[in-house]
Amino acid sequence: MALLRGWRTRLALVLAVVGPGFITANVDNDAGGIATYSVAGAQFGYTLLWTMIPITIALVIVQEMSSRMGAVTGKGLSDLIREEFGLRATFILMLALVVTNFGNVASEFAGIASSFEVWGASQYVVVRIAASKYVVVPIAALAVWGLVVHGTYNSVEKVFLSASAFYICYIVSGVLAHPDWKAAALSTVTRPESAGFRNYGYLSMIIGLAGTTIAPWMQFYLQASIVEKGVTARQYKASRLDVIVGCIFAAVVAWFIVVACAATLHTAGMYDIKNGVEAGEALRPLAGEYAYLLFSAGLFNASLFAACILPISTAYAVCEGLGFESGLDKRFEEAPAFYWLYTALIVFGAGVVLIPRFPLFRVMVLSQVVNGVLLPFVLVFVILLVNDRELMGSYTNSKWYNVVSWLTVAIMIALTIAMVVAQARG
Amino acid sequence: MSVVALSELLGATVRDASGAVRGRVREIAVAPQDHPTRIAYLIVRTSGGEWAVPPDALKSAGASVRAANDASQWVRYTPSDGVLLLKRDLLDQQIIDIHGRKVVRVNDVELESTPVNSHLLLNIVSVDVGARGAIRRLSKGLVPSFTLRALLERIPPRVIPWEYVDLLETDPARRVKLKIAYEGLARLHPADIADIVEDLAPAEREAVFETIDEEVAAEALEEIDPDIQVSIVESLDKDRAADIVEEMDPDAAADLLGELREEQSGEILKEMEPEERQEVTQLLEFGEHTAAGRMTTEFVAVPDTASVDDAIDALKTFEGSREALATIYLTGAGRKLMGAVPLVKIAISPPTLQLAELSESFVACARDTPQSEVAALFDKYNLITLAVVDEHGRLAGIITADDVITMLRHSH
Repeated sequence: MALLRGWRTRLALVLAVVGPGFITANVDNDAGGIATYSVAGAQFGYTLLWTMIPITIALVIVQEMSSRMGAVTGKGLSDLIREEFGLRATFILMLALVVTNFGNVASEFAGIASSFEVWGASQYVVVRIAASKYVVVPIAALAVWGLVVHGTYNSVEKVFLSASAFYICYIVSGVLAHPDWKAAALSTVTRPESAGFRNYGYLSMIIGLAGTTIAPWMQFYLQASIVEKGVTARQYKASRLDVIVGCIFAAVVAWFIVVACAATLHTAGMYDIKNGVEAGEALRPLAGEYAYLLFSAGLFNASLFAACILPISTAYAVCEGLGFESGLDKRFEEAPAFYWLYTALIVFGAGVVLIPRFPLFRVMVLSQVVNGVLLPFVLVFVILLVNDRELMGSYTNSKWYNVVSWLTVAIMIALTIAMVVAQARG
Repeated sequence: MSVVALSELLGATVRDASGAVRGRVREIAVAPQDHPTRIAYLIVRTSGGEWAVPPDALKSAGASVRAANDASQWVRYTPSDGVLLLKRDLLDQQIIDIHGRKVVRVNDVELESTPVNSHLLLNIVSVDVGARGAIRRLSKGLVPSFTLRALLERIPPRVIPWEYVDLLETDPARRVKLKIAYEGLARLHPADIADIVEDLAPAEREAVFETIDEEVAAEALEEIDPDIQVSIVESLDKDRAADIVEEMDPDAAADLLGELREEQSGEILKEMEPEERQEVTQLLEFGEHTAAGRMTTEFVAVPDTASVDDAIDALKTFEGSREALATIYLTGAGRKLMGAVPLVKIAISPPTLQLAELSESFVACARDTPQSEVAALFDKYNLITLAVVDEHGRLAGIITADDVITMLRHSH
């Protein structure tokens, strides 16, 4: 009993210091994230690991800028974009954000459907029906809608967060799979071969990796959380640490998912994973025949966690930027645009997954590529705003900070163009 | 008389008296110190620089602007802090809608153009916060103007009359120059002010609380979420914070100061009036539900060497509540409580009699005594007043029977 109590106090202490930065980074490893890292490892083995260090640096820098802006200005990102760049720019960006996040929401529900796929092979009809996406996804959609609208979300957030400890399974499994550590470490730090850059699949996977790790919704969500928490410029140092720790944790998990999948799936010749049953194979070294159960529990938690956050944060960002009433403390009639947008994202996001023979895993990865395409545009706004002296005072970027952030924008745009060219050439 | 939208005027071509296109409208300025709604001048950008063209030099203003004089007569524009620039300071910014009691974002500004003799008068009439202004701006230049106008007429307007608009300006000097005083906001119910303030960014909250009347600020502050309360008070300078906290209900003030860092609450307390300070300090130290939280510091105490006559003199100069007069307390060296004399005994005794001779056995309690025990003491000893003493036996305050009745009613 004393042991249990001690454990609980310690958990409470850990959760108390966990801030918006850590939560955002954790939600970032959502259905799209797990799928993209899994496919990257299965399809390309260790050869994409070199992307992890630059992506992590970019992630830290981007998230740090967003949280700094939140702390200094006390305003959300879409508010600032509206005030400094006007209605038209805001409108176009918000439209793009809604489309992209619609893809992300769909991918979360695809993740939920996918995490029940193994039961589809059950010998009992009842189980097969109960686990089919036509039952699971609508229930999940209703649950998400209710959890958030009725304010119960805040109390379950910590449950989700604790359950994300599941990611440690990938680290353990990665170790147990006896990967070629030397090859993995080498490909993390060496320059990639240039031949790959003419390959559409390789390019879109790089964009997907960047897009899932540095997703555009994260900047809006993180800045809004910092503002809501009331962090000021003076208390900002603690938040910065929270952001950096969160980003590094997310990156380490991503690295191990890729390595675990490379060491198991890629080595076994399973290059093209199409569903959760196959992706779960990466956990076999740890969980043996229960690998898939472990995988689906983790995927289910991650998907539901992100499905709770994405639609609501999108609705907030869009309504604040465009000047619609927003907030869960308002009634439906007071903030119709807010509630309609929120509801529509869930209904349509869950709805498309119900289309028969919907390619769940492909959509999860594809939505992350779309994230990567939108990312540079959001970043341009972030960088311009964070360097505005009138807004940020002495908290603008340093020179090398700007060099790295503009470099990220340039590389993301170049990759997108290269991907389009590679696709056009077939 | 016609209504023209700010978004139509911005970017409009400007012709001078000769009919030649000279430039485009970049900004529109109002000088609130001269006139609260009148447009002072349009800023016209030409290849030769920027010019301030006042409406009385205009013939018409709409999708294109026509000046009545020659471009050579225009005056150069020089930036000034004292003017409100409609595009920079108003368009896309948040404002307080006094009528609707909320914070809204400006989609467009409607100006009224009135021809007077041979020139124009331009006045701000309202700000557009609805779909009409938004669609007008989004489709500007993309849809032919007559189609657009027909379309816009079908959209119900959502506008706020200019007199119900309070601007948000975080720079105090500029706030004075632009005559922004949040008078409209201050007239609202404190609970509405609190809701509005919670929707603002921290710097804007600070601006509001620096500007509005202390009493209104105090009432509104009481209604605000505790976390936001703390950040607002921390952002204000100590004098101002003390002025507002003084006006607050002592309980609420003590709760608020208890949330602040010690050095900060100390600085604010130092700036407060002694009376309010003492009340709040006691609440802070012992909590609301203790003897110290319930007592008053206004009581009648005379030295234990005093006579009945001295007591009557003390009664004459006493300014506190009548309930406190029921007992006269006797204090010895170092204000230590020595005795208590009921008012009745003083009334029937000869003036030269020493009070010490009239003194009865008295009941006192410590400052941290819980209020339930205080009530029990009143009940047991049939008290009218109860002395509260500090750890050295000095008289700190008294609790009167009416306080106990209030206390008992509240606890049920």
